[in-house]
Amino acid sequence: MRVPEDMRTPITSLLALVILAVLAQQAALAGDAKLALPNFQALESKASETVSITLDSSLIALAARWLDSDKPEDAAARRAIAGITGIYVRSFTFDSDFAYPQADVDSVRKQLSAPGWQQLVQVHSRKEHNDVDVYIRVDGNKANGLAIIASEPREFTIVNIVGAVDLQKLHELEGHFGIPPLDLTNKK
Amino acid sequence: MSSDLDKPLREALRAVEPPTGFAERLAARIEREPLRRRDWRPARRWAPQALAASVLVAALGMYGWQLQRERQGLEARQQLLEALRVTGQKLDLAYRGVKDAARPATAGDAGA
Repeated sequence: MRVPEDMRTPITSLLALVILAVLAQQAALAGDAKLALPNFQALESKASETVSITLDSSLIALAARWLDSDKPEDAAARRAIAGITGIYVRSFTFDSDFAYPQADVDSVRKQLSAPGWQQLVQVHSRKEHNDVDVYIRVDGNKANGLAIIASEPREFTIVNIVGAVDLQKLHELEGHFGIPPLDLTNKK
Repeated sequence: MSSDLDKPLREALRAVEPPTGFAERLAARIEREPLRRRDWRPARRWAPQALAASVLVAALGMYGWQLQRERQGLEARQQLLEALRVTGQKLDLAYRGVKDAARPATAGDAGA
């Protein structure tokens, strides 16, 4: 079909607008799965060990280029990060019990009560004083975000993964990175 | 009519004596010319070296950039593996909690 020359510019502009709108919508959806992590500078000075990792899509792509597929750990990592656009980890270890402010934990938990986020697992161990909450963000039938909040007496960790989180791929990490085989079937 | 034209033409094109010293000045200028050409010779001689040096600098720059990129890549890889390790550790913690809760309640110390 030939498009008259005087119609080409408006059609091109319209197409560009539609593409921009789609991209903006995708960015907004992906953005929702990214949590606004509090500034933990005060905690860093108190903590005996700090892990602060911020990997956006470009850094993940750069890291992926240096993964050696011959190494099982690297190969599992490569599979796990497929479709992931952001990984944010904040972990603090302290020399004394409960040295971190509960308000910081609550501010992150509050964000996870927003629509879209679903609590997958909530573990509260009275004996070991461990609390682990695993949340997943679902858009349609697809998971596009994962959040883990783990608080132990001397450790506090927040993990936020943005993008197409595939629990099956996380399951495939078993045996690597200290993850045991996950039996997700409901046995009685 | 032609004789009318011839006269002013002859007048205009008559032989004129050059100004005093013209021949000497011209000879001196001719003498200077080869000297000016010689001025370019050192530049011509250094041009290949300059080009080689430029190529070397560019190659070193590229190598440096590649080294920096490699360092950034390896650092990003290290961070990625560390992030997955922490994620795995916390998923393990959740898994153990769920497993403990699924066990017959003896002590009842965990809830999921």
